[in-house]
Amino acid sequence: MSSPDTSPAAVEPGAPEKTAERALLSAIDASTRGPVFLFLVTAVLWLLGGTVFALVASIKLHNPPFLAQQEWLSFGVIRTAHLNSMIFGWATNAGFAVTIWLMARLSRVRLQHLGILYVAGAVWNAGVALGIFGILRGDSTSVEWLEIPPYATPILFVAYALIGVWGVVNFRYRQRGHVYVTQWYLLAALFWFPWIYSAAQIMLIFVPARGTVQSLVNWWFAHNVLGLWFTPIGVGAIYYFIPKVLGRPIHSYYLSILGFWSLAFFYNWAGVHHLIGGPVPAWAISAGVVASLLMVIPVVVIGINHHMTMKGGFSQLRYSPTLRFMFFGGVNYTLVSLLGSAMAVRSFNEIVHFTHFTVAHAHHGLYAFFTMVMFGSIYYMMPRLTLREWPSAKLISVHFWFTAAGVTLYVVGLSIGGLVQGWEMIATTKGADGELALKVPLFMQVVRDTVPYLVSRSLSGMLITVGHIAFAVNFGWMMLRPRAIGATAPTLFHTPPAMPLEHRA
Amino acid sequence: MSAPNEKDPRIDQPGASDDSLQDVHGALLREKPEPGEGAVPIPLLLLGLIGGLVFFSGIYLGRYSGNFDPLVYNEEAGAAGAAAAGPSAAPDPITVGKRLFAQNCATCHQATGQGLPGVYPPLAGSEWATGNPEAVGRILLHGLSGPVDVHGATYNGAMPSFGPLGSNWKDDRIAAVLTYVRQEWGNKAAPITTEQIAAIRAATASRNKAWTAAELEEFRK
Amino acid sequence: MNKGPLLFLGIFLAVALSWTGIVLVNQIQYGSLTPIIDNETGTAFPQVMSGQAKQGQLVYQSLGCVYCHSQQVRRPGFGADDLRGWGDRQSVARDYVQQGRVFLGTMRTGPDLMNVGARPLNAEWHLKHLLDPQITSPGSLMPPFPFLFETRKIVGQPSPKALQGLPPAHTPPPGYELVPTPRAEALVAYLMSLKHEYDYPEAKPVAVGGAK
Repeated sequence: MSSPDTSPAAVEPGAPEKTAERALLSAIDASTRGPVFLFLVTAVLWLLGGTVFALVASIKLHNPPFLAQQEWLSFGVIRTAHLNSMIFGWATNAGFAVTIWLMARLSRVRLQHLGILYVAGAVWNAGVALGIFGILRGDSTSVEWLEIPPYATPILFVAYALIGVWGVVNFRYRQRGHVYVTQWYLLAALFWFPWIYSAAQIMLIFVPARGTVQSLVNWWFAHNVLGLWFTPIGVGAIYYFIPKVLGRPIHSYYLSILGFWSLAFFYNWAGVHHLIGGPVPAWAISAGVVASLLMVIPVVVIGINHHMTMKGGFSQLRYSPTLRFMFFGGVNYTLVSLLGSAMAVRSFNEIVHFTHFTVAHAHHGLYAFFTMVMFGSIYYMMPRLTLREWPSAKLISVHFWFTAAGVTLYVVGLSIGGLVQGWEMIATTKGADGELALKVPLFMQVVRDTVPYLVSRSLSGMLITVGHIAFAVNFGWMMLRPRAIGATAPTLFHTPPAMPLEHRA
Repeated sequence: MSAPNEKDPRIDQPGASDDSLQDVHGALLREKPEPGEGAVPIPLLLLGLIGGLVFFSGIYLGRYSGNFDPLVYNEEAGAAGAAAAGPSAAPDPITVGKRLFAQNCATCHQATGQGLPGVYPPLAGSEWATGNPEAVGRILLHGLSGPVDVHGATYNGAMPSFGPLGSNWKDDRIAAVLTYVRQEWGNKAAPITTEQIAAIRAATASRNKAWTAAELEEFRK
Repeated sequence: MNKGPLLFLGIFLAVALSWTGIVLVNQIQYGSLTPIIDNETGTAFPQVMSGQAKQGQLVYQSLGCVYCHSQQVRRPGFGADDLRGWGDRQSVARDYVQQGRVFLGTMRTGPDLMNVGARPLNAEWHLKHLLDPQITSPGSLMPPFPFLFETRKIVGQPSPKALQGLPPAHTPPPGYELVPTPRAEALVAYLMSLKHEYDYPEAKPVAVGGAK
């Protein structure tokens, strides 16, 4: 993929050391271009598809007759298509792209074995497409986060395993002695996902365990998709991009170590908190509750580390799209994680379990944190891959404000709705005879009272959709337009006053 | 090629004469160096907090482990705690009946007791609900099927049995829910006692299918 | 942390530990739980699902009912599941050993269905509710499932399965009848089979302060 004139050798002898480094990075970026484009373009397409599914599902929930005649448009089906398009289509493809680009850069080595990645990318997307088609046909397994029918999952596993193998091989070729914190997270993610995915598939679909052991496997997996796959990529990306854009080191190497290992050892026990009050042994739930509380440690540690790195650089949020998306994602990572720990406390869980609060929480994590971090990464990577600048700062601005406002309204509105729903569902008073009685005895009343919040969810979904369209237009425009001559100034929200151009990103 | 930039003093220009190189490196030229890592030690306060959290977690897990028994579902099990037992006052039939109604009857007859036009008959002001306990008691015990006239409208459905042919409720529950229905939504019929239901149950012990409206006519007088 | 192998070892251990702790230990502890045979009647509980109910469970799976309906009752005193009439006792692992796939669910946009078969709802109610929830439960957010029914011309005798007493909006034109498809009937059979009332020894409430 790399052209000869971009290799380090092409740099004039005697050029400053920095220039040699830049030339090497340029060569590495160029070598990643093909595979990263493959994953990014498919990711953006899935994002658009998933957004349409999401809007339809959201409207149906407060307006049941909407599009009710067709089975494939039924709520339980289209909602599942939305989830899987977003998880395996958008988020995972974007995660692959960012992982590949960062791994190559941080290993200081031009991408090896591109063929593996092309094959893996094609197979992965074919598998996801087949899976979504299967779900729409009614072949969903109805196992949360594992709905893709069993005829498509082995395809996904093969594609993923190829990428995992590529990751290890690429890491072996690394030219830099020091392994940067981002690489720990990315390596771990590449290793963890195939394990949890295959273990869950085998124990749930191919040789199912009996009874509620299935539920434990299910939530061990589903929580770990976030904890051991999306979170490491998202946090790893923040660890790279914040110091990179600001041009300063990460605050503390020791905090990085503590944050990484506490996340690695606590996060994957936490999933059992989805079964609080359920028919699984009390000790397993208690273990999940404890692990969820201990997650406060990595979250606080990572939060401090990122915050201290940002300190003094907040003015840059005005200019740099990458930094702004990263910052939004980072803050929400801290918020959503602390909230998640609180939700695992039994007495709070008693209220919010089984309500829309959980749905708000899932979007808080996967959208306000992970997706925003992916957007920020893409804004940084694309100019270096296409050798063009982003065509429109306006569209980036629209993208940021509509998605940020949209997801904020989404999370706040639906969280309040969930609290109302949860409270009405369980609130009791003692009657005159000493018997406990429900304050809202009719379930239908609880249902009716959630409707305004479900409507607010649809509105926020429309805002987010506008943001996505702005992003997709900008992205497509950048990919397709002829190469602009001499445009080497970055596309920023505003032009910084008298700022050395070198300091922009 | 990049004429304006060449005049820009802010640009650090490597091998500036080589246009193509300059162009390729466009975005890279302005990049900051690859990130490094500072070596600030972990604050002691943070370590203290972490220690405290780990300690608390150990205590919690020990306290709520249910002895690691796979068949213990209540994490409080094994904990010392007096069961809050004790004789409670006789439950008020209206309170109990209201709860039973919300759980079991409101699905069809609606919380307002108005039923659903054409599908489920109303109970508010219904001549059946407020009429002779002998008839309405039989309906609850064994169910009712086929056409029935309420308020001059005909309904053709099937009311399930809550007695021996269905949910197997005890006499006091049936009495409670009937009493509630007979005194709610402006209904002002006399309460039905557990003994009355027991008597009807005894008299109909051999009944093995739902009643029809016609069969019940004789008990409505 | 510049040593690749050490890094890998730690990464491996992290996931191996949780897999062992959550998945493997539980599988060993109660993965082979069996039904209990009642001493008085000699019947095994939980009971085996009928073939039609099993078919219905597949319909339940394919339509994604689990995303709005849970199938688990929390113990009295934790939540208010008992007061809502969803079940008098905590659901236990043994309740699920006869079900192929377990649909515990995590949402209650609609009511819990663990014991829906024990509620006073007959097949006719369920069918009307599936055809359009507004017929039986105005204000419901459940989607209608018209594709589980078939409007067909009456040939000869009207079908005994045809739905009667429908509101005007759903009444088929004269000469036609609305009949449930086999999938609808199977789904209703499944729903009516959901009844977990047998008191297993481990389901008995533990005397505890605070819990009812």
